Amino acid sequence: MVGGIIDPTAGAQTRVSVEQRDSPVVSSLDGLRVGLLENTKRNAARILDAVGAALAETHGAAELVRRTKKQFAMPLPSDVLTDLKSTCDVVVIGVGDCGSCSASAVADGIALEETGLPTAVICTDAFESTARAMAELKGDADYGFLLTEHPVANLTDEQIVQRAGRLAPEVAARLLGRRSSGVVA
Amino acid sequence: MNSPSPTDALDPVAASLVTEYLFDQGWSDGLPLVPATEESVETFLAHTDREADEIIAQLPQLGRKASVRDVATHAVMAGCRPEYFPLVLAAWDALSVERSALGGGWQSTSGPAPLVIVNGPIRDELGVNSAGGVLGPGFRPNATIPRALGLTVRNSLGVVPHALEQATQGIPGRWTMCVGEDEENSPWEPLSVDGGLQAGENAVSTILVRTCEFVDNRHFHDPVEVLRDFADTIGRAGAWIFRYSSVGIVMNPDHARVFAEAGMSKQDVREWIVAHAGKTEAELTAVGKGLSRLSDGPFDPDHFHPVFADASPACLPIIVAGSRNAAMSMVVRVFSTWSGRSFPLS
Repeated sequence: MVGGIIDPTAGAQTRVSVEQRDSPVVSSLDGLRVGLLENTKRNAARILDAVGAALAETHGAAELVRRTKKQFAMPLPSDVLTDLKSTCDVVVIGVGDCGSCSASAVADGIALEETGLPTAVICTDAFESTARAMAELKGDADYGFLLTEHPVANLTDEQIVQRAGRLAPEVAARLLGRRSSGVVA
Repeated sequence: MNSPSPTDALDPVAASLVTEYLFDQGWSDGLPLVPATEESVETFLAHTDREADEIIAQLPQLGRKASVRDVATHAVMAGCRPEYFPLVLAAWDALSVERSALGGGWQSTSGPAPLVIVNGPIRDELGVNSAGGVLGPGFRPNATIPRALGLTVRNSLGVVPHALEQATQGIPGRWTMCVGEDEENSPWEPLSVDGGLQAGENAVSTILVRTCEFVDNRHFHDPVEVLRDFADTIGRAGAWIFRYSSVGIVMNPDHARVFAEAGMSKQDVREWIVAHAGKTEAELTAVGKGLSRLSDGPFDPDHFHPVFADASPACLPIIVAGSRNAAMSMVVRVFSTWSGRSFPLS
């Protein structure tokens, strides 16, 4: 306190301190169950579906487990988290394309990785700063989320397939622990 | 020789240094702040019976909370007087039942602002403006109470622009919108009665809004002309994003008077507007917003889509305020919907 002046941010400065750790990864997607956690935003489910299909085709993923996060701004409900943990080997999350849902997608990715599930979170590039702010808030400042060009809500069917085709190798690299650019044009 | 005055001790140089210090800490919304000290915060806390450590605002998605003491700190910083503090607390009570405020509203690209509405005799006691220039500057409680809310969101909840706050443009007047309802010049029951309280009781309500747009209609011959004008502004396509919207009116006392003289209650006005405000499927399709993709679609081109889900006060809150000097009202675009609840002071 300087000159008796109260610091009004004192309460907000407490960040979660997590042990520095590497993200959980898998050595191969062959035969694995891939969770697709869509957040109800327009085109999110279709993009994740197309990414999932590509992972099945090129990486041998055995099963696509589709789930919906109904309140896109809020933390993942514990029952959904438990369900994903028991039904999936890896989870793809997205698409964070708004102020609250992009940050929240990153929080969900970090929460799932804390349970040992490898994740790939997809946000649009317009929301990089808020996605990073959430990673810092959660004590995992370097959490690797994937960025795709904004916007996605008005992509056509054909454009969704093209976008998913570019996203899928990046998603796979993230889940396999290989170096990913993090950016998908 | 003049006798000493309390203002002799004022030190503008020191005040300026304090102001710059507060800016440098990153605590400001862009305007000068008042420094909060233990003493000044205690002065504010003396105006409520609530426990200083009670949590009154929180964002679970960020794991952040604000206590009554935190809110007092920001009320000091915003420039409130201590006696405004119960209104700031009641505004947080009201915001805490706003689904969209909890569900990411402060982080939203929409950049919504709370419109704070004050009812009851405390308006006169504190000088809350409800008359001319009600949405504009010049009145300390109107200007500082909503600012205290915004500073709490920034500093206690940690929602800062360009980081966790992602307003695309934000709205003009964000964190500056507070009106008293002009109950004395309203022909109807106050908003706080729609919000579940008794007329004459001090009350605060909050509505999250996305913008205001005026309806200037002062040369009408028939009240229905004014109703049509409201319906037209309320129905405009630009604001259309979901199936239904909620829209409020800060209604000029003169518009309210002519409706009342035509025998209309506030609910009658609501029902007329709800029945008439909307667009056809063809009109929405022309701007790329057709609703035929919805589960109950597709729709014929001439199918009429109403703006409102229903004629409840939550969907169409009406507050009477402003000067009678010209028949202008303000349509306020509601973010999500109003909770429909008003809160007493404590």
